[in-house]
Amino acid sequence: MKILLFGAATTLALAMLLSLYRVLQGPTAFDRLTGLGLIGTKTVVLLIVLGFLTGRVDIFVDITLSYTLISVIGSLILAKYFEQKEREDL
Amino acid sequence: MRLFADVLLILGLLFILAGVLGVLRLPDFYTRLHAMGKCDTLGVTFVLLALAIYAGASLVTVKVLLISLVISLANPVATHALGRAAMKSGLAPWFDPKPKSGEVRKEN
Repeated sequence: MKILLFGAATTLALAMLLSLYRVLQGPTAFDRLTGLGLIGTKTVVLLIVLGFLTGRVDIFVDITLSYTLISVIGSLILAKYFEQKEREDL
Repeated sequence: MRLFADVLLILGLLFILAGVLGVLRLPDFYTRLHAMGKCDTLGVTFVLLALAIYAGASLVTVKVLLISLVISLANPVATHALGRAAMKSGLAPWFDPKPKSGEVRKEN
């Protein structure tokens, strides 16, 4: 189980690194927001996996719960903000 | 039960990698949003279910299932809000510049 969780953490870190390319390179602002959303949800999973690896899941789960709410609400607010902007600076 | 959790974890990681691959490779914002919205939600939910099975019966399990529920409800909402914002701000969808013969291309 330890090896499987370590592999899962490595895969998640690799996936976050790959979606960082879309954040840096995306042609429009919405592409960057897509990459940010991907990184946010992967961070949630990575935090719980790290909690299992270090043996302190009970603390890490609380941090993850609050991070989930912050990430999702931030993504929604950014989408609303870019909805109100006009088309000139896409 | 352990084997079931292992299979669930690996399946979820495969879904997450497929979503990232789609976001990297697809040609247009809307297609990328399609890859992100479905693959990411399903993959994260699978991995969190596997981790909840690993945790055994405790308070951690309840919290991990709660996080899984929040993500599986809120991630589609965020995806829909992003697509709606892009459509309202005038981002045009992508069309194949060279469609295959026999295919009717809809002009707008």
